[in-house]
Amino acid sequence: MIEQFIPAGSTYAGNIDGQIDLIFVLVGFWFILSEAIFFGLIFRFRKKQGQPAEYITGEEKSQKRWITVPHFLVLVCDVFIIWGAINVWYHVKQELPPAQETVRIIGQQWTWTFVHPGPDKQLGTADDIAKVNELHLKVDTTYHFKLEARDVVHSFSVPVFRLKQDAIPGRVITGWFEPTLTGEFDIQCAEMCGIGHGLMGAKLSVESAAEHAAWVASESPLELAAANMPQLAVEE
Amino acid sequence: MRMTLTRTLVASITTLLVAAFALPVAAADGRGEQLFELCAQCHGSAAEGNQMTLAPAIAGLDEWYVEAQLNYFRNGARGLHPGDTGGMRMYPMSIWLSTDEDVKAVAGYVASLPRANPTPVLEGGDAAKGSAFYLVCATCHGQEGGGDPEKNSPPLRGANDWYLLSSLEKYKAKIRGGSPLNPNAVVMQGTVNILPDAQAMRDVVAHIMTLSE
Ligand code: HEC
Ligand code: HEC
Ligand SMILES: [Cu+2]
Repeated sequence: MIEQFIPAGSTYAGNIDGQIDLIFVLVGFWFILSEAIFFGLIFRFRKKQGQPAEYITGEEKSQKRWITVPHFLVLVCDVFIIWGAINVWYHVKQELPPAQETVRIIGQQWTWTFVHPGPDKQLGTADDIAKVNELHLKVDTTYHFKLEARDVVHSFSVPVFRLKQDAIPGRVITGWFEPTLTGEFDIQCAEMCGIGHGLMGAKLSVESAAEHAAWVASESPLELAAANMPQLAVEE
Repeated sequence: MRMTLTRTLVASITTLLVAAFALPVAAADGRGEQLFELCAQCHGSAAEGNQMTLAPAIAGLDEWYVEAQLNYFRNGARGLHPGDTGGMRMYPMSIWLSTDEDVKAVAGYVASLPRANPTPVLEGGDAAKGSAFYLVCATCHGQEGGGDPEKNSPPLRGANDWYLLSSLEKYKAKIRGGSPLNPNAVVMQGTVNILPDAQAMRDVVAHIMTLSE
């Protein structure tokens, strides 16, 4: 249902959508039913010729049943919702499938800095690629992210992944995602963080393995340094 | 009772509609000043600069320079380096200016403000030593630090000393000025190498501050 409005671009996007659909269907069912009964009763017992409208206190058992029976049925539905929610939460936020690659994400007023591991696939080395407001990922790859905030609380939100994670100054928060769709998508800040909050957006590019390799090669600081140093060119 | 309710509703909706359409018209002149309300949050109400927010004095800078820098921020040539804390704050503000007309309007307003001449806050700079370095800077920025539009060089006189220093540090560390979109900044990045160390930067800034007096 939600996919009609925004594509599902991560392995767990479907789980989140399923949960939202479940809530939508259960709540929608009770909403429509209760409104139908509510307006039905109003219509049926409206003021008529020779029959004045009557105020009912609702203390009799036969009347109270209209509340208590649906109440318990709704509680049964809650059990399904909570059961689903815990499962999805556990999968998205508690589980941590082994990483194939790791990126470092830093939020600060009012940009996102993404540190990509570079050709050696290791973070914290000289060939890391740091980019502001640009995150490049390889499709079908399990990523861990290390999320930091430099000043105030931010929230790393990627609607196509159905991911939202607060970034807290002083903490490095680890999470994961696995992109399944190539293309360009939005990243946004989802926590009020000051005057530039609404402008704190970034671009996510999910690329095929070949495209991603080409991007890494063209952006690697070591490659760039070599390109700027003609004496390193072997042919000359 | 029902009459008054209907009448109130109609009246308030009409007022809202009129207000909604009248607002942009009223704003057409004085646009620059109106846009500046955002800038004032960081740069100060007289655009005198505020070190707390890292926003420098921009009052009275040349219009061409303000407009050019706003556009460098907007197209990502400035402010999008991971080490540029101040630039990363200014970048979103620049994209908030959605049209070239707005950029021109606010640049015109900023340029019309009197130069702020903020008081120096840095210590340990030797203006006498700095004046020797400044001989080179003067070829572009002018003997009196007034800038030179023909060389795309902004005025340095009347700036915050902490901002001058941080700008020099950023050029040196290649945090500012690396983009091919702004060849002027590439030039400045190269020139800054005549200042051998941090002390030389402080010295030349101390000299520039004497030009404001
Ligand atoms: C959130 C705070 C903030 C707001 C709001 C803001 N700025 Fe800035 N601005 C900065 C910071 C910080 C810098 C310094 C960037 C640097 O260190 O390179 C800056 C730099 C500038 C510069 C470059 C000055 C120079 O000498 O090169 C100009 C021009 C400028 N701002 C204009 C504006 C205008 C016009 C507005 C309103 C539309 C505005 N700013 C709003 C924070 C802000
Ligand atoms: C070849 C001409 C040239 C020379 C020489 C030169 N500059 Fe510049 N300078 C520029 C230009 C052009 C800019 C604007 C660059 C940009 O857009 O970022 C600039 C920018 C600056 C800025 C940033 C101003 C601001 O408002 O953000 C500072 C500070 C500065 N120069 C200081 C110096 C100092 C100190 C020297 C001498 C050591 C010097 N410059 C020598 C051309 C020059
Ligand atoms: Cu934020």
